[in-house]
Amino acid sequence: MKSISLYEEGTSFVHDVDPITKLWYIPFAILIPIILPLFTVSFLLIGLSLALLLAAKVIRKTIPVFGFVFLILITVVLIQGMFKPENETVLFQIGPLTMYKEGLLFALTITLRVINIIGAFMILVLTTKPSDLVEALVRKGMSPRIGYVVVSVFQIIPEMMATMSTITDAQRARGMETEGKLLVRIKAFLPLLGPVVLGSLINTKERAMALEVRGFNSQAPKTFLYEEKTYQFSKILQMGMLLLTVAAVVWRIFL
Amino acid sequence: MIKIANLSFSYNKETPVLTGIKLEFDRRSTAIIGQNGAGKTTFVKLLKGLLKADEGEILIHDHNVNRKTAAQLARTIGLVFQNPNDQIFKRTVLDEVMFGPLNIKMDKQTAKEKAIEALKMVELDGKLEMNPHDLSLSEKKLLCIASVVAMETDIIIFDEPTIAQDHGGKEKIRQIIQALKDKNKLVMTIIHDMDFVAENFERTIVFTEGKVLLDGDTRYVFSQKELLETACVEAPGITKLAERLGFKDTVITVEEFINLKQTCSPPR
Ligand SMILES: Nc1ncnc2c1ncn2[C@@H]1O[C@H](COP(=O)(O)OP(=O)(O)OP(=O)(O)O)[C@@H](O)[C@H]1O
Ligand SMILES: [Mg+2]
Repeated sequence: MKSISLYEEGTSFVHDVDPITKLWYIPFAILIPIILPLFTVSFLLIGLSLALLLAAKVIRKTIPVFGFVFLILITVVLIQGMFKPENETVLFQIGPLTMYKEGLLFALTITLRVINIIGAFMILVLTTKPSDLVEALVRKGMSPRIGYVVVSVFQIIPEMMATMSTITDAQRARGMETEGKLLVRIKAFLPLLGPVVLGSLINTKERAMALEVRGFNSQAPKTFLYEEKTYQFSKILQMGMLLLTVAAVVWRIFL
Repeated sequence: MIKIANLSFSYNKETPVLTGIKLEFDRRSTAIIGQNGAGKTTFVKLLKGLLKADEGEILIHDHNVNRKTAAQLARTIGLVFQNPNDQIFKRTVLDEVMFGPLNIKMDKQTAKEKAIEALKMVELDGKLEMNPHDLSLSEKKLLCIASVVAMETDIIIFDEPTIAQDHGGKEKIRQIIQALKDKNKLVMTIIHDMDFVAENFERTIVFTEGKVLLDGDTRYVFSQKELLETACVEAPGITKLAERLGFKDTVITVEEFINLKQTCSPPR
């Protein structure tokens, strides 16, 4: 079955880092530029994220995501550059359009923040198996029920796609045209929705029962199927990020 | 009716599922047997146009299957899926059975008549308005059979029709197969129940690891003890018993066994 998670198998040290540490990295990368609003800091963090993505050999998978984000950011830059109320200093003019310094600087801040956040999330998403992350969280005390719901979301969509193709086969096997022109496809697609949703509801019921008979709701402490993923430097990394954050706050206040 | 030359197929490029299949089908009723994973289901899905061959050609009534959509083929060839849950998607039993006939442009009245006729054969005509998902597994399987039989295709393929059926259910399926044979249709069945094969099919084809290992009259196929063993299938119990008792001819049904026993006692 196809998977919707973007996780890419790999052997880099980024893959080896445990999910919790990578989770820590996200608030770290978001907070630091807020505490220290300097362009240099933002650039440094973006550089760090990109370096990690490169080291994990997953940078190619980020291209479509960044591509989409850039599309949105360009509109932000244009709108802020031209129309931000505080705009005073004219930077340059192209025909009737005037770009102002204040707006552009503001847009640049937003752009850097967004790229920074996306980069940090990408490291987690692209190099961590969703089930590993959830299991790590459950080990940390998250309720297994919530963990199950999260993992299910990752499974349910590919499952629906599989059901979809099963039903399509059932339809064409008995003479309903599903191939060819767009209109034909749409006509075949609409009646699919009912059975697919119904089918997944039935699956849900059956799965709930299957979970129940295997003791999902038991109060006893659960054993984990997979060995805990540990990374020898995870404590150091986590403490390092915490210290850097504190240092940033101190710097901001006293310097 | 069907001509297959040099047919090969794989789901992913690494592991071939079918290789170099060459077969011809006439109107003899045919059983397809072979161990789990031999490629039987894959083979019939190719015939049906649900999968496309990597190599080779399938001609049905001299038309190349590759050039037709599965929907166009549905007028000629019907397939009852192995897993009924993969086939059922309508809300009521009657709708489910009428779906096929309506798609091949039967008018509503005829479609309904054919549907009810087919449902009578499987004794589900009392449950027309029920939701198919509330039927038992064996009833679902019978419903799937009815929904393909109602289309009255020239070729009809069953993928393991007898799973989950008790004696009564098997008897119904036997009668349906007989009725289809009487109408001179080509009936093809994938099946693991060897007694059922011996009693109902003239021709048997044995698949193993994506190839045809044996093909011929059912009696001939069941006489090939060693080859059957390599394909992990067994002749019917009565065949083995007769052989162990020293009967010279290959016996495949209980009736034959009794007849032979009455005419000539086996040598001691
Ligand atoms: N959709 C699929 N994707 C990938 N591999 C598949 C798929 N369907 C079947 N296979 C593989 O192809 C091989 C042949 O499967 P197939 O279902 O044709 O066997 P079969 O002879 O019908 O077996 P059974 O008696 O268990 O029904 C098996 O190894 C199976 O795992
Ligand atoms: Mg099969």
